[in-house]
Amino acid sequence: MKSKKETEKKHTPKEIAESIVFPMSADANERKEMISAFSEIRKRYKEQQSEESKLIANLLQLRFLIEDYLKANSFNKELYFGYFLKEYIVRLEKKNKQFANEIDVDPTELSQIINRHRKPTDKIIYRLELHSNRNFPAVMWFKLLEKEREYELMHNSAIIESEKKYVKEHLPFSF
Amino acid sequence: MIDAPLNVRLKNLKTGELVEAVIEPVVVKDFTLIKKSKDRFDKFDWSKYKKKEVYKLRLKEDDLIVGLLCLIDHDDPGVDAIEIELLEASIENIGKGKTYDQIGGCLIAFACRESFKRGHGGCVFLTPKTSLINHYASKYGFKYEPIRTHGRPNGFMVHYEEGARKMITDFL
Repeated sequence: MKSKKETEKKHTPKEIAESIVFPMSADANERKEMISAFSEIRKRYKEQQSEESKLIANLLQLRFLIEDYLKANSFNKELYFGYFLKEYIVRLEKKNKQFANEIDVDPTELSQIINRHRKPTDKIIYRLELHSNRNFPAVMWFKLLEKEREYELMHNSAIIESEKKYVKEHLPFSF
Repeated sequence: MIDAPLNVRLKNLKTGELVEAVIEPVVVKDFTLIKKSKDRFDKFDWSKYKKKEVYKLRLKEDDLIVGLLCLIDHDDPGVDAIEIELLEASIENIGKGKTYDQIGGCLIAFACRESFKRGHGGCVFLTPKTSLINHYASKYGFKYEPIRTHGRPNGFMVHYEEGARKMITDFL
């Protein structure tokens, strides 16, 4: 392995900083002391962090969690549309009724969506995009529904069985 | 927590084209590959980090690994941050004549995104060598937080919510 000095001979500090991060001291005591010092810095920052900054961080966390869930191949039945909608409302520190009023939706309808008793209409999804100032785009909410639907289609064997009797002809081969 | 690969784009400085790349966890066979190509990753012994959280940045077209990143998740509420323990771009992508730009930026921005995702509010830090402090600040917008340990000056380069958000906007 090349030493830091060798690297410095070959590259300027600017080039090194662009492409390399060296590790902190490997000495356990020194490391402990450093992390403890960092905690003080972190505490000071948190004391002065604005409410808006905290809210942005909370909402970004939610957006990245949704993005990663949509990209993942796996389906988690706990992570349905209503779950993420409820998270959005909770992170805004709003009550369901207040939020329903803000997007002009009946509170009962909102509650039914959150509790998976009803699918959201397109209108509600567009209103979510507008309410979030497009930070949570409609397409993201649609994709969550699509992922749910895909899972339902693949796992609802009862429907497939009950529909069989209506299909009188089918292709004689499979690819 | 769901870990999905993160798609990024790197600029090929020789052709001017943007190429598709992905950031994802390093798996056991990657460590073997990295060890074999130690002339490309010659600054650190990455095999020492096998049990840690290590990510690779690879080109989609040919799977070539062009950057490596080791993170430490400090979930202790007092620290509440992601530490960039180690980062290295492959040798052909450092300095003048490099092929791909923004490898370091993409990996640091990935760390910022992970920090938000894991509830650390975007807080990311690294310990700089003294000669690099100003460059980490000017290139990536890190804030220098000086401290004193063992009677010698030292410190951290830190991204908080706003800086981390800017890194994500600029590089991801």
